[in-house]
Formats: sequence, C-alpha cells, structure tokens
Amino acid sequence: MSMVEMTGAKALFEALKAEGVRDIFGIPGGAMIPVYDALYDEPEIRHILTRHEQAAAHAADGYARATGKPGVCFTTSGPGATNLTTGILTAYMDSSPVVAISGQMPNSVLGSDAFQEADMLSIMLPITKHNFIIRHVTELPAIIRLAFKTATTGRPGPVHIDLPKDVQVSKADLKIPAEVNYHKKIKLDPDPEDIRKAVRMLVDAEQPVIYAGGGVIWSSASAEVVTLAEMLGAPVVTSLMGKGVIPEDHPLALGMLGMHGRMAANLAVSECDVLLGVGVRFSDRATGDVRHFASRAKIIHIDIDQVELGKNVRVDLPILGDAKRSLAAIIEGIKLQVKKGRTSDWLQRVKRMREELAPRMDYDEVPTKPQRVIKEIMSVLNEDAIIVTEVGQCQMWAAHFYVVKKPRHFISSGGLGTMGFGFPASMGVKIARPECDVVTIAGDGSFLMNSQELATVVENKINVVSCIFNNRYLGMVKQWQDLFYQKRRCGVYLGNVPDFVKLAEAYGAWGDRATRPSEIAPKLREALKCGKPAILDIPIDPDEHVLPMVPAGGRLDEPILT
Amino acid sequence: MKTRMFSVLCQNVPGVMMRISRSFTRRQINLDSITVGIEPSGLARVILTFKADDRLAEFMRRVLARAEPIIDVEVIDPERSIAREIALLKTKKLDEEQLWKVVELVERAGGKVLENKGNVLIVELSGSHEHIEKVITELGPDILKEVARSGQVLISRETS
Repeated sequence: MSMVEMTGAKALFEALKAEGVRDIFGIPGGAMIPVYDALYDEPEIRHILTRHEQAAAHAADGYARATGKPGVCFTTSGPGATNLTTGILTAYMDSSPVVAISGQMPNSVLGSDAFQEADMLSIMLPITKHNFIIRHVTELPAIIRLAFKTATTGRPGPVHIDLPKDVQVSKADLKIPAEVNYHKKIKLDPDPEDIRKAVRMLVDAEQPVIYAGGGVIWSSASAEVVTLAEMLGAPVVTSLMGKGVIPEDHPLALGMLGMHGRMAANLAVSECDVLLGVGVRFSDRATGDVRHFASRAKIIHIDIDQVELGKNVRVDLPILGDAKRSLAAIIEGIKLQVKKGRTSDWLQRVKRMREELAPRMDYDEVPTKPQRVIKEIMSVLNEDAIIVTEVGQCQMWAAHFYVVKKPRHFISSGGLGTMGFGFPASMGVKIARPECDVVTIAGDGSFLMNSQELATVVENKINVVSCIFNNRYLGMVKQWQDLFYQKRRCGVYLGNVPDFVKLAEAYGAWGDRATRPSEIAPKLREALKCGKPAILDIPIDPDEHVLPMVPAGGRLDEPILT
Repeated sequence: MKTRMFSVLCQNVPGVMMRISRSFTRRQINLDSITVGIEPSGLARVILTFKADDRLAEFMRRVLARAEPIIDVEVIDPERSIAREIALLKTKKLDEEQLWKVVELVERAGGKVLENKGNVLIVELSGSHEHIEKVITELGPDILKEVARSGQVLISRETS
C-alpha cells in the first residue's frame, strides 16, 4: 500500500480492517463522532450499539474468549471511557485480548479539565497490558497495529488507545504498515535442560497430577494436555479458566480444584507427588493455604509470563515458555523413555475418587435445587453449546457441576469476579460463534447489573439465552454470612422484584418461568428455538449453599461439607 | 533489608515513569531514589534504588522486565559499579564560629562552598550516598536549612 491522504478516523478503519476486525461493540459520543462518521462508510464493519460502555468491554472480551482473536470496543471520552474500566480490568485479570479505543478531547485542551476530559492514560495504565495516547495522526497506523500485536503476543491482555479528536480529523499522507516492529522478545521455546528435568520428574512420579489453566486455552494446547495425561496416567485438574481443556467426562478429568472445586480434584492435588502446573497462576482461590497446597509434591510450573513463576507458591522447576511448545517437548521426551512399570494404584485411586466423590444432582425438591438446574441444562445442550456465567453462587455451581467438553466453551470472569460480566459477554460470544447455542448461567443479582443490554440483544437479534438462578439474594455474600458471620444476613436480600418474565417482555425478548424441575428442560428447549433473545427465570432454593467449600485460606483437603 | 539498584532501559514515551513507579507503589515498596537520563540512542535510562529482600527484588525485576516500554532491567551489583550522588546544601544564617566550622567540614569532605550571602552558605557535595548522608548528619538541622539531592547515578565497571 502506498501513501494515501486520509483522516485519522479513516486510517483507524483501514488499520482495523488490516487486523481482520469485523465486529465492534461501542457507544459514540462527542469526542468520537469523527470516528463514527468514518464508520458510516464502512459496510464491512458491523457495529453493535450497546447500552452501557461496560457492556461493550465485556462483549469484546466474550468475543475474544470465544475465538482467541481480539475483541474490539469503542467509547467516547470521559464517562464513556471510564465506564470501560471494570470491563478492561476483567479482561486483564483473565488475560483476554481486548482492544479498546476511546475518543479524547483535542490535544490542545488536554489537562485543562475540558468537557468530558478524563486522564485516561493514567486511569487505564494499571489495568491494561499496555495503553497508548495518539498525539499525532502520523503515529496512528503503527500504534493501532502495535496495539493488536501487544494484545495477542505472549500472555494476551487488553490494550487501550486514547484517540484525541484533533487526531481523528486531521489529514496526512498515511500508509498502514504491513508489519510492525514489536520490540519485546517473548521466550516461546522452553530450555531443553528444563524439559529434560521435567521429563525425569514426571516419569519417576508415582502419583502425578496435571493442573491446567487458561494459559493452555490461549496457547491452544488442550490436545497436548490430554495426550500427556494419557501417557502418564495422570489425572487432570483445572482452574476455573481451564475448564474445557480436557473433556470433563474423560476418565482422567477430575474437574475444577479450589475453594469450590470438586473433592476429587482437591484430594488428588493434596495426595500427588508431582504436580505439573501449566498456564495457571496458582490463584488463592485455587490453592487455599499455600503452606499445605500439594505439600507432598514437587511442583513443575510452565508459564509464558516470567512474573508468574514462583509468584504464589514454591516451585521446584519453573519453565518459562509457551504451554503448547513446552508440553510438546515434554511429550517427545517421554516417548524416548523406557516405560517404567508404574503400579496402577494411583489410577485405581483416581478412578475411585472420581466415582465415589461424584457430586449429587438428582434432587426433586421445589423450589428447585441449583444442582438439579445444572443437570437439566446439561440434558438439553449439546457439547457445542457455549456456557457463559455471571459471578457468585451461580458461577460456582456451573463451574462445579457443569461438564464442559471443549476449550472456549465455558466463559467466566475468574480473576476479577465481575458481576454483570456474563450477559454482555454472551452477546460477544454469540456474535463470534452464531452457530452455537449460547447460554448464560446467571444469578438474579448479577443479571441486574447489566440487564439494560436486553435492548441491545433484541435490537440486534443476538439470540442468547439467560437462565436466571433466582434466589432473590446476593447469594455468595449470603453464604459467607451464613457460614462465617453467624447467619447475620446484611445487605443481601434483593426483594421480590423484578418479574424477570415481564422484564424480558418489556424489551421484546422471550421470557418464561420454570418453577418445577421438570419444567426446566422443555422451557429451555423452547427458549433456544423461539428465534429471540430469551430469559428463563428459574426460582431456586434460597438457602442452598455452594458446597463443598474450602474456607478462604483453608486447606484443600479440609473442606466444609454440609 | 538490602538496598537494591536497578538500571532500567526504556522507551522515552508518555507514562513510562508512572508505569515504573506504580509497579513499586502497588507492592508497597518505597523508591529511595530515581534518576533519569536520556541515552545517545534516545532511550531513557532510569536508575532506581529501593529496599527489598532477595525474593521481592527478583519479583520486581521480572515485573519491570515484563512492562511493554521497558527494554532491559539490569540489577546493579554495587561491587561492580560506581555510584555517585550530588547534593546542594543551604545553611541557615550562621554566626562566625558556625560559619568557619561549616567551611572546614565541607572542605574536609571534598565539597565546595559556592556562595556566601550574608552568612548563608550554599555548598556543593558529591560522593557516595553514604558519604553525603554522613556529612548531612554531621551538620545537622541546627545548621542546614535546605538540602537538594540528585539521587544516585551509577555506571557499571564492566568493560565489554
């Protein structure tokens, strides 16, 4: 491409198209009108007008998590840009490549408290992988391309670009660079010596466990995890972000570990003699008391981010490198080893734990138990359906009970735990994967935090289904108050409003209520087929807790059971 | 806790100092000194000193090395580098006896009296951080009115 005279706004779209961007979530405003004026002439780009900028960020994040490709959102300056922050930090905590672009007041007035001016460079700085302000139109093409490169290289993460209005309108001879000079050196290949040590430790292990997280999904290394698990006879536990790395009905899959993890997963980690952590950050919600975490094990940790190695737990063998390449190297190394006659005791133990500690879901009570709701949802959806969750009890029930078969088919706000994430994220997921059923497992509290997006899904015919686990409480806080604060429930009762069926209907969506367990499956089928966005309101037992539960800072092998 | 020194090579772009300093703020580490210079290449070199145990120091090295505009983080070994600091000292209005005492002390410390206006002295001192600390302590708050310090600059002794 040769130099062409164009405005900054036009160049922005040329650069976005060069990145393959087709969908943008956003809301315009005064400082962004020149960009939207240029968007008027871009028929290839689909713009989804959300009703709140936070939802635009979550939608872009959902899009990224469902595809692995960057999700893009637009806002105006000031309040539009500050409304992004929760969504951007959500993406940052879960390493999701979101590229957010905000309008800004013209360079000439920056720092003067002009109308809708906010110091976004400072505000976004601690909550993004990187952020930019474009001072001059000539910098724009390279910065946009660098933003995408940064968001997707190494450990992914969100990038914010502050785009002053004068840059949007000024013209220059511009060219979208084919390549951008990215100076950070990302070490993808692990050190061969580390791999040799890892192979030795894993082959010699009597009771190995693989602990896989979101990094495996971002690195597309799920197949390698399954291969390695089968070669070693090692069970696989996952973090919340790692759900779907291994099909959870696989005989070696023990499910999620941690505070609300499966008993089998927590016991396997407590009993193992070698723990291979890959693409995980050993979050406090996963480890419990670190002094007792995998205390009999030597720990190997593979991660692409050097900061994570040894950050939270003692690690015997840190391996800096890409998950896929590192696992592939370990697999090659193990192939060369003479098979050691490992006793099958460990596999027997794993099998027993898997069977004996399988969670119970077949409750018939009314109001319906949440475990039963998950069972009913699973009976309707096929393995290509994508589950998105809100945050709190509903999320942990989904994480604990839902059997996910594929990576990128369970999408949840892990690190930040953002209530209000699920529903708008599901919009992005459905835009990215229209062929899949997209179902949000929501609580009534979380859903109300971004319920205005019902307007967006109806207007844009984004046919997502929200199953609202309705207990009229901020359930997880209530659970902590019940368990740790002598049942002194304070500030958690949400009252008997709204009527979610009427709320759906007010927006022109499909709405219905399933008050008995037997109604859930047929009504969910109807919701999926109705040709509209849908809400299925499911009143659940308000006193049900997420159990078992390892109290914060407690030991994984000492959960609260009842 | 040991004093640590990092020499950080970074792009000279808006927000880079904030990016560096907030990494420390967030981990509740106080930076004892920051000096910045622009290298002939146009890149910025930031010299940081702070206190941390071995584990935290290594963690901070990695945190900085990960940041996008940072190109290199060198951990400075005090044995293999030369570090210096400059201080400018202004005294209160001194009587004759105090004045001669200060002049003598400053000269003994290798410093220079730059100005004397009505028995208020401005003095220049340079040397190691410890040397400057020692002189300032010796003069004390009864003599000194104001102190301006450069923070430490340093250069590695490596020749290759």
